[in-house]
Amino acid sequence: MKRTLTTCPYCGTGCMFYLLVDDKDTLVGIEPSSEHVTAKGQLCVKGWNAHHFVNHPDRLTTPLIRKNGILEEVGWDEALDLVVSKLKQAQSAGGKDSAMFVSSAKTTNEENYLMMKLARAVFKTNNIDHCARLCHSSTVIGLMETLGSGAMTNSIDCMEKADCIFVTGPNTTEQHPLIGTRIIENVTKNGAKLIVADNRKIRLARLADIHVRWKNGTDVPFLNSIMNVIIAEGLEDNEFISKRTENYEELKIVVADYPPEKAAEICGITAQEIVDVARMFAAAKRAMIVYSMGITQHTHGVDNVKCCANLAMLTGNVGSPGTGVNPLRGQNNVQGACDMGALPNVFSGYQKVTDPDVRKKFEKAWRVRNLPGEIVHTVTTAINAAAEGSLKAMYIMGENPMMSDPDQNHVREALEKLDFLVVQDIFPTITSDYADVILPATTYAEKDGTFTSTERRVQRVSKAIEPINQSRPDWQILCDIAALAGYEGMKYDSVSDIMDEIASVTPIYGGISYERIDMIGLQWPCPDRNHPGTKILHVDKFSRGLGKFSPARYRPSVEMPDEEYPFVLSTGRSYFHFHSGTMTRRSQLLDREQRFPYVEISPQDAAEHAIAPGSWMYVATRRGEVKVKANVTDVAKKGVLFMPFHYKEGPANLLTINALDPVANIPEYKVCAAKIRKAQ
Amino acid sequence: MKVLVLTEQKLMEFLASARTAYDVRVPVSLHDGTRVIGRLGEGPLAIKGGAINQKITSIFFPHMETVLKCSNGGFESPEPAPKPMLVVGFTKQDADCLEFIDRFYNDKFRDDVYFNKRDNAVIVCVSGRCGANGKLLKVSGDNCDMELICDGQDYIVRAYTDVGKSLIEDIGSTEIVPEETLEQIEKESDQLCVEGLDLLNAASKLLLEDKVPDEFWQSISDRCIACTSCNLACPTCTCFDVFDRTNGCGIDRWRIWDSCQLDGFMREASGHNPMGQELIRTRRRIHHKLAADVTRWGHITCYQCGRCDNVCPTGIGIMSVCKEMVEKYG
Amino acid sequence: MVSKGLSTSLPQPQKPLYEPFSCEVTAIKELTHTEKLFRLNRLDGLPFSHKPGQFVQVSIPGSGEAPISVSSSTTRGDYLELAVRKVGSLTAVMHQLNVGSKIGLRGPFGSSFDTKSMKNHDLLLISGGCGLAPMRSLIQFVEDRRDDFGRSTIFYGAKSPEDVMYKTELEDWANGDAFTCRVTVDNVSGGTCWDGQTGLITNLVEAADIDVGKTIAVIVGPPVMYKHVIVKLKDKGVSDDQIIVSLERYMKCGSGKCGHCTIEHLYCCIDGPVFRYDKIKELKGAL
Repeated sequence: MKRTLTTCPYCGTGCMFYLLVDDKDTLVGIEPSSEHVTAKGQLCVKGWNAHHFVNHPDRLTTPLIRKNGILEEVGWDEALDLVVSKLKQAQSAGGKDSAMFVSSAKTTNEENYLMMKLARAVFKTNNIDHCARLCHSSTVIGLMETLGSGAMTNSIDCMEKADCIFVTGPNTTEQHPLIGTRIIENVTKNGAKLIVADNRKIRLARLADIHVRWKNGTDVPFLNSIMNVIIAEGLEDNEFISKRTENYEELKIVVADYPPEKAAEICGITAQEIVDVARMFAAAKRAMIVYSMGITQHTHGVDNVKCCANLAMLTGNVGSPGTGVNPLRGQNNVQGACDMGALPNVFSGYQKVTDPDVRKKFEKAWRVRNLPGEIVHTVTTAINAAAEGSLKAMYIMGENPMMSDPDQNHVREALEKLDFLVVQDIFPTITSDYADVILPATTYAEKDGTFTSTERRVQRVSKAIEPINQSRPDWQILCDIAALAGYEGMKYDSVSDIMDEIASVTPIYGGISYERIDMIGLQWPCPDRNHPGTKILHVDKFSRGLGKFSPARYRPSVEMPDEEYPFVLSTGRSYFHFHSGTMTRRSQLLDREQRFPYVEISPQDAAEHAIAPGSWMYVATRRGEVKVKANVTDVAKKGVLFMPFHYKEGPANLLTINALDPVANIPEYKVCAAKIRKAQ
Repeated sequence: MKVLVLTEQKLMEFLASARTAYDVRVPVSLHDGTRVIGRLGEGPLAIKGGAINQKITSIFFPHMETVLKCSNGGFESPEPAPKPMLVVGFTKQDADCLEFIDRFYNDKFRDDVYFNKRDNAVIVCVSGRCGANGKLLKVSGDNCDMELICDGQDYIVRAYTDVGKSLIEDIGSTEIVPEETLEQIEKESDQLCVEGLDLLNAASKLLLEDKVPDEFWQSISDRCIACTSCNLACPTCTCFDVFDRTNGCGIDRWRIWDSCQLDGFMREASGHNPMGQELIRTRRRIHHKLAADVTRWGHITCYQCGRCDNVCPTGIGIMSVCKEMVEKYG
Repeated sequence: MVSKGLSTSLPQPQKPLYEPFSCEVTAIKELTHTEKLFRLNRLDGLPFSHKPGQFVQVSIPGSGEAPISVSSSTTRGDYLELAVRKVGSLTAVMHQLNVGSKIGLRGPFGSSFDTKSMKNHDLLLISGGCGLAPMRSLIQFVEDRRDDFGRSTIFYGAKSPEDVMYKTELEDWANGDAFTCRVTVDNVSGGTCWDGQTGLITNLVEAADIDVGKTIAVIVGPPVMYKHVIVKLKDKGVSDDQIIVSLERYMKCGSGKCGHCTIEHLYCCIDGPVFRYDKIKELKGAL
């Protein structure tokens, strides 16, 4: 039996644990790390089962090339040669920006950095993006504009220090379970106040002092109205506002238009609820905002994020323990993938590609010329472009857009239209069904690297077993492709060398090295080798200097319920499954827990449609219809349906609408109009 | 008084020599300081520091193990390991837990997969002045083969079984220690733990008399996120699930730790689920150890090892729940 | 030398607990659209030696194991019959089997209907849905030892005419001398030919003519059935210790280890599945 300390591959909480390996190089268990700063010897159910999928017989084990419509096993050389030649072919026919590189929040920082480097340095396009587009692109933009840094301002241990926690849009006990438990502990042991603003009666709502069940998509009027009350009652922190912020007058003007009575009507709640929330939040010495997809996944996602930041600044709750604006990142390394510049507009460390000086710096470091300065596609617009025919080739590493992007039929049409699609993954997916080349990658257990958790903590991922069969770590595949494409600058002896390069070109990671992050990691910004890392951002000064109030006005969601489609459909994750389900649905206990696609429906709605608990039913939108089991529960509010997107046989994203936030291009996963019927 | 006393160095030598006949497992400190029962040399020896956080009985009932191999239509059961284990690091409570699950796995049907590892294994308890934060660990007495009673620095070695005694004889030399040292430790040890046991007994009585209403279980289950850590850390939790997995040359049947805190634990293929409500599952977790097992085995099957209280991220381990229960209904 | 608990007497040396023995499917019969009857023989020629009411763990490598109650009586010969409803992954694979297919089996496990103490009693054999599968093992036993028992009545309820299992055998029992046999279905959908009774099984119990002093009632059925039938029996004066139930749980090991079938302190797989009602009626979650 061998034990290897590594970081959990599921959510962004970043728990570390030991993987247990038997004499046959099979993973046979998990042991929590009792010393780890976040895990503290604890884990959630996904963590306890995180070893299970690795040795699953479905693993992709050899490269595959589609020949005459049929996938055939080939050697690595043949597969990689084809990838390089086809990508080049597409680019020479349609221009550099006719190829799209999709990186992955599941892979390591090093791999994201290399994918970014491959796209920019080798294939000379800024068409590099990943699924942060679908979850927190609105955060990165909204917080960058208001605070100057698009990450969680505080640390996980601040959850235990807050006097009031305002939770809006995450289901923490299911999606970031150990963060959720810190909130529970603070509430039950220390008596911290808890405000939950969420349509669903999530577990935290049972323990909340106030639970507001507004209408989906009315975040802006709700938050504006809270600020309206705070200002009207003189509860704002004037000292903080005057010393640390700018543009306050404009905020005052905008929120003045949202008195509680008016907002209450839009939000479908009472004015008193708004007043209560405002008073409780403003009264707390240390008040914290915790938010997630419920805020970000809207066509007004950036506006929502800005309103959260405005509220925190208005009450002086930024830059100190137990406060802050805390977006919870949903995947193990979605923070890191953003940090590494797997985004079209920035290099690693959020250095803008439009800045010629930055480009020069990277040209020098990477020994290349003419790095592109033009921003063309995000993941979501790339799919649109592929459907229109202007995008010709796609290289997807560790993502499953058929399951995770909105409007599956639209995605299918796009993938089918591509001249060339390469998918690099650990299991076959319905996305790889459309691939011309499939490259077998390794799981987290078979490679070294780092993940960056939601609290900006860069932590080690350590190899526990040898790559299964012919699968290879993503970073090695990327390096080989670069070399085959004629680029000499992507050769590394180890992943540690890649991190050293990252540190040399990325100021916020400047002090990160494998030696220093050995056990509990370091939180960025960490500019130099002597810097202890940063637990709390914006302490004396905002990253952008002064915090900027950026008020927003209410824009309704794109597709509202009507007579034909009377329900609001919202989507998300469940506790036992993760994203497109490729890993959790291959883990015995997790799969057993929730084996079938389902929809959460209120008891009243179920009764009105004669739908029995546990029976099959249909949910339909203007995009299509899906058969799911009825999970009849008072978690769901009357008139609102919630579906997790894990099930390929009942895909929620067949139903969702491809409507994007104009700035962040994030899809509106949280609101579309639906109808239901009983299955016979 | 003449007893065998070993310095940590001497103990290390003894354990190293025992490796010829035994697969030796000892508390070690891993990379980040986490203490586990590991192989000699897997990390620095870490006998001092109190109970190991890991489910101690995982030595014999691991997280996941094969129970059957199927190939070409034939079946093959796992064989016992070539060498029996010698395991150091059980506390008195841990040894009690092991003694119970020995009985459990031997009852009516003998679980040979468990006994493949358990048979002939030598259990070495650790006690005395080497608990967490310098606390005294209860002296085990005779519920093990051998015991290391720490005087704060060195280990006084006592053997209880024939195997234990012959192992001691192999070491040979004995030393004189002041009689009062051992006496004092044992005296202090006798006064330990009464409080926790009283609490469990009181809670057990409430449960057996059916005095705990559903509202109580609902309020506890509101705080349960079904992480399953309580079950997976508990040395007397024995539940497992079974699944098949193909490998290169056949199919392995595995068992994996399961948890009664999961909705799917009892759910049948038809959808029927006798434990389909949160509060019923939360109740079972406590009731099983403190009431159901009292009826079945004649005693409580929680030995106050403290693991579930340590590992529960929301503070509803068995002792915390019992405290709340007894305060409310006792 | 090992800890105290083991000093008590060890059970008989046994075959490895989780190792199945191989059986061959020797006959398959379609019972309903979702249920098939499989007849099995051991490849090593040994007898199954099961008793009415017991179950076996059916093992199909790659699909795992599932507990299935035995549907035949040893009084019929050295074979074993399983009536299998297609509900999960393993049973779906079973439905693909052909005559001559090999499968693994462990068991028989669990308690059985105590046919000794039933001797000379009137028997009221009440089953619903696929509860007739285990009940049939008792029915066959009683039929083959007819003189040992008093007046014996079979009540069977199914959801619809299509769901009625063992149709011809039910007819035989109804027409033969050994039993009084009544069948009812909850609903008859339009176009279905059904000249039998409709209504819930409780109606049959209500109308039954029972000699309370010498009757033993046996109930096997879906979870919802027990409570209602028991109420009717008690209305008629049948006491708790005259009622026998067989409870279904998803056992993984069959031997009291895996914990999936506990009912408070009892394990359905070794203490049950057959229980006397008075022994379990106070236990939470039993019925």
